[in-house]
Amino acid sequence: MKPIRKIKIVVAGPFAAGKTQFINTVSEIKTVKTERKTQAIAEKNVKDYTTVAMDFGKIRIDDEHELYLFGTPGQSRFDFMWEILGEGALGIIILVDSTDPSTFHEARRIINFFQSRFPVPMVVGANKQDLPNAWSPEDVRTALDIDEEEGIPVLGVSAIDKESVKNTLLTLLNIIREELLH
Amino acid sequence: MALTGDLSTFSFVDIFQILARDKRSGILLVEWQDMTVAYYVKEGEIVFARPVDRVFRVYAERDFDNLIEKLRISKKNLPKTIERFLITKLGSKEGVFSFTPGFIRYNSDIPVDYPIEKLIMIASRTLTPEEVERKISDELLTFEKSQDYMEKIRKAELTRDEEKVLMLVDGEKSVMDIRRTSGLDNLTVDRTLYGLLALSAIKRKKREKRHKPSITLELLAKIIERIKEL
Repeated sequence: MKPIRKIKIVVAGPFAAGKTQFINTVSEIKTVKTERKTQAIAEKNVKDYTTVAMDFGKIRIDDEHELYLFGTPGQSRFDFMWEILGEGALGIIILVDSTDPSTFHEARRIINFFQSRFPVPMVVGANKQDLPNAWSPEDVRTALDIDEEEGIPVLGVSAIDKESVKNTLLTLLNIIREELLH
Repeated sequence: MALTGDLSTFSFVDIFQILARDKRSGILLVEWQDMTVAYYVKEGEIVFARPVDRVFRVYAERDFDNLIEKLRISKKNLPKTIERFLITKLGSKEGVFSFTPGFIRYNSDIPVDYPIEKLIMIASRTLTPEEVERKISDELLTFEKSQDYMEKIRKAELTRDEEKVLMLVDGEKSVMDIRRTSGLDNLTVDRTLYGLLALSAIKRKKREKRHKPSITLELLAKIIERIKEL
């Protein structure tokens, strides 16, 4: 039996951006989670559990290949995990909570981190577009200082909606395709 | 689409940057503990500031000329409201903001004594070290001037120190180099870079070419098809 080759896409973003949900929505296995109860009061106000090492979900491509979606922990005290998870990634999806501008600067810091260490194709998902107070993807782009020349699309996403998550993945994969062709 | 947030985590520089980008029109409402002020925005320029005791009053008049007539404010006095109710508040970090696009109709020309570029730089001079760290987060960051930077700074009225920092931005020097070469204190350098970034006069230097993806086109096509099927 041939060994199965694992292809990796990293899903990163600030605390409570919706990374675990994003992976859950398309994963064919129940997402493997490494959650712990949130400790800080500010974090407890947002959610009860948070990822501390990584989450992963899986999509089987064929008998020899599986696509893994790795979710990074959002809290900056676990940023050593970003380095580990970024290694060998085919592409990176940065998720941002469009309803919480207080996290936008942290999102930019994460983009800078991955750009400098793992210069692979990247897309930004402006998540929670289903909520009424969500910033538009265009405004999120400006707030994140994403220059046209950076080649990072900013897409509206709702991580609870399968088609929306698929669209984000397909956008990333099509950028990868373009890079292979040129 | 909503544009709301908290000044403690999203500064005036950031807000002005958003308003300026698409030359938006509408009403920016800021609620501080001591007062609520409505800022009237015309094509990206803040043209009038009006304290209100009740938020609903802001939405009682849609025609700008009628509004200032009712309030008995002449057009030449509009900039004074910006001085009094915006510039003096730029250093206040506790408050919530929301921007409502459209709504107000501007049927005539309005003088702009404080162009948004100038306001961005004034606001950047009030940023705290914690605030500048949000964007100037790494002393190894490198910036370069935008192609049209002269146009962007034309109305910004940079100070001599800010001009000095701008001249040192060359796509080669890092933030650390600029701090050292300029002889200015770190906070002045960082505030200036933050403001220039918001003006789009400078931008992060584009990274070198990305790694070629380590996958075959055939396998990638399979993955794309598989995702579509999900």
